[in-house]
Amino acid sequence: MLKQLTNYLGLVAAYTRLNLNAQLEYRGAFISQVVAMFLNDGVWLVFWTLFFTRFPVLRGWTINDVITLWAMTASGFGLAHAIYGNVLPLAGLVAQGQLDVWMLYPRALLPHILLGRMSASAWGDALFGYAVYLVFVRPDLQHFGLFVVLTLSAALLFVGFGVLTGSLSFFLGNASSLADQWRFAMVTFSTYPAVLFDGAIKLLLYTLVPAGFVSYLPVQALRELSPWYALLALAGALGVTAMGVLVFYLGLRRYESGNLMEMRG
Amino acid sequence: MANSNPIAVQLENLSKTFELRSGWGRNRIRRAVIAVDGISLTIPAGQSVAFIGPNGAGKSTTIKMLTGILHPSAGQAQVLGYTPWRERRELVRYIGAVFGQRSQLWYHLPPRDTFELLARIYSLDRGSYVRRRDTLIERFGLGEFLHTPVRKLSLGQRMRAEVAASLLHAPRVLFLDEPTIGLDVIARQELRDLILEWNREEGVTVFLTSHDAGDIERVARRVIVINHGRVVLDDKVSALRRQYLGSKILSVKFHAPPAPIVLPGVTTLKASEYALKLEVDTRATPIEQVMAEVLRAGAVADIAIEDPPLEEVIAHIYAGGSAPEVAAGDHKHA
Repeated sequence: MLKQLTNYLGLVAAYTRLNLNAQLEYRGAFISQVVAMFLNDGVWLVFWTLFFTRFPVLRGWTINDVITLWAMTASGFGLAHAIYGNVLPLAGLVAQGQLDVWMLYPRALLPHILLGRMSASAWGDALFGYAVYLVFVRPDLQHFGLFVVLTLSAALLFVGFGVLTGSLSFFLGNASSLADQWRFAMVTFSTYPAVLFDGAIKLLLYTLVPAGFVSYLPVQALRELSPWYALLALAGALGVTAMGVLVFYLGLRRYESGNLMEMRG
Repeated sequence: MANSNPIAVQLENLSKTFELRSGWGRNRIRRAVIAVDGISLTIPAGQSVAFIGPNGAGKSTTIKMLTGILHPSAGQAQVLGYTPWRERRELVRYIGAVFGQRSQLWYHLPPRDTFELLARIYSLDRGSYVRRRDTLIERFGLGEFLHTPVRKLSLGQRMRAEVAASLLHAPRVLFLDEPTIGLDVIARQELRDLILEWNREEGVTVFLTSHDAGDIERVARRVIVINHGRVVLDDKVSALRRQYLGSKILSVKFHAPPAPIVLPGVTTLKASEYALKLEVDTRATPIEQVMAEVLRAGAVADIAIEDPPLEEVIAHIYAGGSAPEVAAGDHKHA
């Protein structure tokens, strides 16, 4: 088990290095995408700073909590797509029958496919998240350690959710648009303080659009330095991922290969 | 299991049906399209086989079932003793696949980087990987562009790197789906020679699909023709040319203008004052009789007997020529 995990982590490292090298073939484009995403995230932070200048507390949350939320979402989303970039076009890959090449390798299919691409702008998100948390929140070592663990949990959640929505193509044909819309909803809700929502919407945030596992539980875990909230966030991420994996492999039985021209990298 | 099996590929009544749906509501119609219709055949280890047929005949679907990509609707298949769709991960360690329209090379990176990644994917031992890689670089002549991004390579160079990449883990069976598509004459010839060399020297079983008669003639010893998902011919490539159409092309040059040659089954394709090109249907008139008539017609300066171009033979079979239906697996080939 440990040997398999080490072997897989070696593969992750090899793919990340290769994908990064492929991105750096166009150095200017890569750097500008990273910087643009960094600035884009920064604009939202300016917006929330202005908001909290007028209203210092929002249902018990302060500017520090919202910065933590943005840092969490950005770094979780960034890590997920910097490493598992193929989760973004998964619905299209399935719909266009482009899983063939991946099925010819002696590796577990899903964790291997996801490694096949890197989103350049995701590096901007990841860097933004960690930088903002360190610079503005100025955590002690304990908080920063927990923050890193929770960003990994958030990354897992984004990957699992991407797999779940992308796998709909196995059942609906081309579900690319649906998967995109659903993922946008997830990202949008992940960047708003969950304390704003009550009732049915709150229920939605832990079911159909499970943004609560990014936008509430991790922030509460860091506010109270609570392992309980941290474990709940992790359990949610694992649950969503397990569902995504299940739907993917159920759908794979229905997979129909395609004949599109295809290049990698 | 994979290395000791004397049978590389065995199919028994393998079938694949796709379901097409169209229309809405009550007008929704489901239609079954049979892509592969009960194919049975056996390919011994080390054999090179051309698996050919017109577009939509079921070639690629068969290859995808044999590599575990698609599940069949019915029938059985074993590749190196593995059932591909059930034991895909175990099987793919021992097979290589090249799809002419799909690349496993990283487009923006040099082939060397993809080789390194493949070594990691197949968990190859570093020492044996380096030896294997260096052999492939030398034999496939990859040295000059090994460090050049794939996007900057010619199609011929890319396909050489592609086939080399598929051989890196020393597969026992190599599936090639139209590997020479789009290549120029020289690049085709080079690639064919390399595949043939690997088949002969390493004993790799080659399962090739192609629309190019040259690929079939140069690489394969056995040809299996499928049409509408069924095997319509299974024979040696040489026998296909010699026997199937039963015709010969006879080119004769004379020292003086010859007398006319009139025999049943003999057609004049081209005629000049001192030369004749005849097509002979040997089922109507034996070639010896035609030769005797040619010698009587005038003093012969030169004579050549050729088989008809393979392309014509294949086109004839595709067009529904009177190919005898061959019970798959009946043929034994060395």
